[in-house]
Amino acid sequence: MDENTILEKVKESVVEALGVDEEEVKPDSVLFDDLGAESLDLLDIVFRLEKEFGIKIPRGGIQADALSAEGENLKEEDLVVDGVLTPLGIRKLKQSMPEVDPARITDGFRADDIPTLFTVQTFVNIVKKLLAEKA
Amino acid sequence: MGIGIDIVEVGRIQQLAEEHEAFITRVYTEAEIRYCSGKKNRHQHFAARFAAKESVLKALGVGWARDVKWTDVEVVNDALGKPQVNTYGEVKRLMKEKNVREILVSLSHTAGYAIASAQLVKG
Repeated sequence: MDENTILEKVKESVVEALGVDEEEVKPDSVLFDDLGAESLDLLDIVFRLEKEFGIKIPRGGIQADALSAEGENLKEEDLVVDGVLTPLGIRKLKQSMPEVDPARITDGFRADDIPTLFTVQTFVNIVKKLLAEKA
Repeated sequence: MGIGIDIVEVGRIQQLAEEHEAFITRVYTEAEIRYCSGKKNRHQHFAARFAAKESVLKALGVGWARDVKWTDVEVVNDALGKPQVNTYGEVKRLMKEKNVREILVSLSHTAGYAIASAQLVKG
């Protein structure tokens, strides 16, 4: 499935879950700040995408592998201390979420706040990755 | 660190439960489903438990990064009706890592909203 098809389906799910106008939903729209989403809305979008694409998006897997310490000999505390991202954690998050404006990931950024960064494109990327894994 | 609070709209939980078959089974344990389904205002009870799960995860400082499932936090009522938290999987492991002996929760709900707070007891 090409990216454009995925994008159209993701946009559709966002429109249905949030009740926003289709014209408002752009790839770089931030779900919380631009489209008024709350955390339960993300769950709503997740379930719609799962149904639409026949995939399973785990709770923790929603945010790519941004803070996964696996495979790099990193420990959790190298990336997050007391819920706050370390400089290395910030660097890794920016790398793994290239669709997010890096200026939004500032010093002292909390891991809990990562969902507030999500854009429409974030979900497109997640779906793309999961479809590729499924294939 | 060590406390968490969360509020949810009961109607939103009801809508999610009605629109998505997977919602209830993905988020709630069998014991929770049994308890809430037997109540007249079951969506209020489901909503309160959702808020409780979120407040526990906030208190533990669990972002979305961790391999945590909603069902890793279970809220059941003891014989006196007091809510009790059971943890499983990754959340149970995290509790141990953070030296948390017990998690206390308090729930409240009306027709419109459900709210919960959680406090970690170290030791």
